[in-house]
Amino acid sequence: MILRVLGSSSHGNCYILERGEQALLIECGVSWKEIQQGLDFNLSRVGACLISHEHKDHSKSAREVMQAGINVYCSPGTAEALGISSHRLHTVPPLKQFTVGDFIVLPFPVEHDCAEPYGYLIYCRSTGEKLLFATDTYYIRHRFSGLNYIMVECNHCGDVLKAYVEEGTMAVPRKNRLLESHFSLEHCKEFLQVNVTTDTRKIILLHLSDDNSDAERMVREITDLTGIDTEVAEPGKVIELVLYPY
Amino acid sequence: MISLSNEIALFKKTDMEAITKRVQQFINNGELTLPADYSPENAMKSAWLMLQETVDRDKRPALQVCTRESVYNALLGMAVQGLNPDKKQCYFIVYGKKLMCQRSYFGSMHVAKMVDPDIVDIYAQTVYADDEFEYEIRHGKEVVTKHVQKLQNIQPDKIIGAYATIVYKDGRELSTVMTFDQIKQAWKQSQMKPVDDKGNIKAGSTHDKFTADMCEKTVINKACKYVINSSSDKSIVGRFAREMDAELKEAEIDQEITDNANQEFIDIDYTVTDATEATTDPEPEPAQEPPADDDPGY
Repeated sequence: MILRVLGSSSHGNCYILERGEQALLIECGVSWKEIQQGLDFNLSRVGACLISHEHKDHSKSAREVMQAGINVYCSPGTAEALGISSHRLHTVPPLKQFTVGDFIVLPFPVEHDCAEPYGYLIYCRSTGEKLLFATDTYYIRHRFSGLNYIMVECNHCGDVLKAYVEEGTMAVPRKNRLLESHFSLEHCKEFLQVNVTTDTRKIILLHLSDDNSDAERMVREITDLTGIDTEVAEPGKVIELVLYPY
Repeated sequence: MISLSNEIALFKKTDMEAITKRVQQFINNGELTLPADYSPENAMKSAWLMLQETVDRDKRPALQVCTRESVYNALLGMAVQGLNPDKKQCYFIVYGKKLMCQRSYFGSMHVAKMVDPDIVDIYAQTVYADDEFEYEIRHGKEVVTKHVQKLQNIQPDKIIGAYATIVYKDGRELSTVMTFDQIKQAWKQSQMKPVDDKGNIKAGSTHDKFTADMCEKTVINKACKYVINSSSDKSIVGRFAREMDAELKEAEIDQEITDNANQEFIDIDYTVTDATEATTDPEPEPAQEPPADDDPGY
């Protein structure tokens, strides 16, 4: 599979997961123009667009996506908060899987300050590859097995936030909001300790904060902890996801 | 043999002298003025007695599981804020290996008065559906102008809100008004989870049995928080209070994550049929709605 990153921050999030001629759009929080360009204007291969939650940096092109004939999947709470309706809109209950072409998708609840946020477990039927996508969550209630690729938020470093508060450049309520809505490096590591197995080939870190993260340190610490090839999702990146890289 | 309890440095009674000295230093430097009737030594003795009884969630004694640093910080924070656990102005909670001192609403009122000596009184009232209740916004602050209540109005199922009023020396009165929904939203954040996700108060809980009292505590806490958080950084009391609140919040979040993260195992059902398969339609449909709701259209 191939993962194209169109955006992975509070400025906009969007990923294209490709397997052969099929593609899944994960999030649509960048401009419709960028999405079309990312898909090389070949919209017909997109089986669905999965949206995690209603915040604009994840959903702003939802209407255009549906108007272009792409089915959008999200939680009922997210759809209500977005105020969208269309025969292209599929609201799915948590933990009830659905099939999109070659992919089986299992939505699961995550923890963020919004209506009803989801993460998605994505399974490719023809290759047996399993990918986890979870962003904008300060922890994940569930655990998983046999994950080949883990796309997970790693937003901030707890000690960086603490230092900013101490030097007075960050207000305490802002720090609290981050702690209660986004994955810190420390908690992301705890999550990975539980979910990384010998099946895991790649960890992709999402949604790094502009000010409160340290990409190099995050990649280093997570690689040291897990021994798994880790990289940061950056706009424009094309990441190869392969089960047998050797 | 090294016993488990020796793995972390534990707080000793003698460490309390160091705290008392530190508080005295703040006083001597002119950074801290404690109320005349407050004795840090007495408060410390009460705290020590209380700590003998404090246990963590597994019923292990706090003084055997908490780090020396966390106990030191909790007691120093208590003394600087002029809090006395005997007066129920604060209590101690163990989160993991950390001891935390948490202010009660009495304690928050006390600290608000310390950081703003112009405050003479803080009180709260519950508002019921049939009350005559009016307030105005003056200079961005709420001022209650009328609240008339009849005894028969006081019915637990008719609470519509509550307010706390801070009375200043010059006679000014500023209020904090909360609707019942806002109060319940605040309760949802509470570690005790007295309100479920649908906004129902848990039957038999303190919040259910003494709803009006709990509303008043919540609104008083909010009013005091505003005073404490807006106090100058020069005030050592305000600074300690804010730091203590921040640490407590962090410990609560860590506890929530420890309790709930990575628990239930879920996986794909591989025996799935294609019955639920979504269809794709390459033909774009005509635009029916405006392109984006954050586009002002001009």
